Amino acid sequence: MDILISGVGGQGTILASKILAYSAVVEGNNARTGETIGMSQRGGCVVSHVRTGSVNSPYNPVGGADLLLSFELCEGARNIKYINKNGIAVINTTKIMPVTTSLGTSEYDEEQIKKFITDNARAVFVDANSLAHEAGSVKAVNTVLIGVAYGIGILDVSKESIIQSMEKNIKQRFIDLNMRAFEAGVRYGSEVQVKC
Amino acid sequence: MKEILLGNSAIALGAVLAGVKVVSGYPGTPSTEVLESVAEFNTDGSIDVEWSTNEKAALEIAAGASYCGARSMVTMKQVGLNVASDPLMSLAMIGIKGGMVVVVADDPGPISSQTEQDTRHFGKYANLPVLDPSSAQEAFEMTKYAFELSEQIHLPVIIRPTTKVCHSSGTIEYDDEKYEYEIEGFIKDPKWVIFPPLSYRRHLEIEEQQKEISKMFDSIPYNRIEGKGKYGIASGGATYPIVKDIIEKFDLDIALLKVGAVFPAPMQLHNRFLDSVEKVLVLEELDPVIEEQLYYALAVNNIQKPILGKMNGFVSPAGELKYENTLKIIEKFVDIELIKDEDISTPELPARPPVLCAGCPHRASFYAVKKAMKGKKSVFCGDIGCYTLGNGKPLEMTDTCLCMGAGITIAQGIKKVEPDTNAFAFIGDSTFFASGMTGLANAIYNNTNINVIILDNYTTAMTGQQPHPGTGKTMMGTMSEKIDIASVAKALNAKFVEKVNPFDFEKAIKVVSDAAEYDGVSVVVFEAPCIALFKGDAPCKIENCIGCNRCIKELGCPALYISGRKVEIDKTLCNGCGLCINVCPTNCISKGD
Ligand SMILES: Cc1ncc(C[n+]2csc(CCOP(=O)(O)OP(=O)(O)O)c2C)c(N)n1
Repeated sequence: MDILISGVGGQGTILASKILAYSAVVEGNNARTGETIGMSQRGGCVVSHVRTGSVNSPYNPVGGADLLLSFELCEGARNIKYINKNGIAVINTTKIMPVTTSLGTSEYDEEQIKKFITDNARAVFVDANSLAHEAGSVKAVNTVLIGVAYGIGILDVSKESIIQSMEKNIKQRFIDLNMRAFEAGVRYGSEVQVKC
Repeated sequence: MKEILLGNSAIALGAVLAGVKVVSGYPGTPSTEVLESVAEFNTDGSIDVEWSTNEKAALEIAAGASYCGARSMVTMKQVGLNVASDPLMSLAMIGIKGGMVVVVADDPGPISSQTEQDTRHFGKYANLPVLDPSSAQEAFEMTKYAFELSEQIHLPVIIRPTTKVCHSSGTIEYDDEKYEYEIEGFIKDPKWVIFPPLSYRRHLEIEEQQKEISKMFDSIPYNRIEGKGKYGIASGGATYPIVKDIIEKFDLDIALLKVGAVFPAPMQLHNRFLDSVEKVLVLEELDPVIEEQLYYALAVNNIQKPILGKMNGFVSPAGELKYENTLKIIEKFVDIELIKDEDISTPELPARPPVLCAGCPHRASFYAVKKAMKGKKSVFCGDIGCYTLGNGKPLEMTDTCLCMGAGITIAQGIKKVEPDTNAFAFIGDSTFFASGMTGLANAIYNNTNINVIILDNYTTAMTGQQPHPGTGKTMMGTMSEKIDIASVAKALNAKFVEKVNPFDFEKAIKVVSDAAEYDGVSVVVFEAPCIALFKGDAPCKIENCIGCNRCIKELGCPALYISGRKVEIDKTLCNGCGLCINVCPTNCISKGD
């Protein structure tokens, strides 16, 4: 299973990648991840790769990923090229406006971006920030999105393994919040119409 | 035990299990997590772990520990080895006792670095072995091996991971038994004192030793030939798994030479590989190091065979090798179309370069200097850290940036030639301790009238909040007395030294104006914590905005954005610093509650 996670530096994509990778390890599989750590974490574009199974490189080729999990709308569009023909994109509809748009040097055209995503992938849009906020904090966007991916049935790990991985990778005092966020994501995912 | 670990953490675990006793380093992407992970694994406190003031200090500390027979490790990024090259070159002559590993991380791209330099050359320059891991798993194994090798040959061993290995994780299986040994302590002996005759003798020995190590590298598991074919590909580091994925996916008949122990070159293995194939492609990031070794092997044996790579322009000399460009190069090499180009035409998407965070005190400091110097001839020499991002629009407050510590000294050079310019140097607190103090002493003693702005955010922010001598904390979790930057400047005879909070807007501008007027070196220490160190205030509020966008145009804060014809504040980003309150001409912005 090959997954690409995209977002904006500071949104917590690395935790999502850890949770997904470790849930495969729980099931006795090998997992590899590739992270963006460094300058881009200051509000730039970030991606995390998660690959389980018998590959050598931790980095997904373009056109290779089974799932794109995007924490932000335009970062989803930027990385659509990574998913394969049967792949699915789970996209948080939250927009984080880059400073370049405020300064007028680039433009954020929401409608055009959404159209581009739906034209090029089977996409599930979710307002993950709102679901996370309802669960207790917008910081839980990562577990909401993992929940949605699980809910639509694309992940090849069990719910128990994901929960076990969350317990290992999330600080004790944030566990309840993240469980609520994850369940909200699962509910959302199981109600949308996408065939896997 | 089975664990999923980042490449850097895998190196740390390897070192801990190899019985490392002293670990020192200076932070730098992509190397930083090695030392941080050692500190994390050091639950019983039996390893002495420290962030040193710079790489030269760190390397010398690890060397001293090794002289006593303790296993030691030093970590840094590639440009850090430039700073530590003086001790490294001499240490290669003197040698060591306890196993000593020098971890130097390279950054093809470059992604977070000033240069795209290749540390493998340093191995050759200093006559030290270089190990180049291709995955987290191999980085773990190689680290344990590096300590053994170092003790066996009495020389430090360089491990040179690259970003794609440092920051990727893999599943590591290990048994958690630590290597135990007795530390003999320092034994006095003339061999520890470098003198020209000693260096001459050692040089002869070391050159002989290179041949021995080269033979060892012919048959260690990190160097090997996989598969068979008329065509051969030579590769190493993070490029190797990508090449292997391509060979496996397209079922290509290719002999793959994998080089993990790269210097001294495994010449017999190279010869065997060259013998078995008709032509060769070399795929390696940064410089053509393996490629040159192969050319050398051909020349020595007086054989001619095509080698394609960076030296004949077949592979780009700069930038990363990712799956896509690697595939294109291999396609061209085997002359078979492997995949059809299917370009999705992505619409133009907004650019998202990294920026100073919302609430970052550096923004306030830059803005105060900009205001104070408006209309006056000035040059702003920057330095390395989060504050390098002050070069972007709309602040545009970084006219030069070279290497750590250079801002203060470049400013002096400019001032000598352009005495009517207000020459400013910006430097961060960690950078000041790393390599700013000598430059400041130089300006004061040699009477070059520059204005030094120290951006003290109480941490080493860019690399992820490491302690330094101004913070009061150490990597062992203990507290130390802080070294006060203003007091250091005064001790160096600076006569104009002022501390000010950059968010104290009017005062900050006044202090900078006074500093610029002052006849002599002036030092302003802007003190305010990095936003990652505290929770922050409630987000600011904006009411009755007239849409002049002045706040955005002046400050470029990522929490401010335009919605319709008005400015809004992103509550998830704003930390209530209130800098924008000073900029709004109609007083629409106020502190939140
Ligand atoms: C010789 C060298 N060592 C290490 C680095 C990596 N590095 C980049 S920025 C930085 C620290 C900057 O800290 P500070 O001066 O406190 O500025 P801040 O990021 O906190 O604004 C380091 C260590 C480097 N670029 N060059």
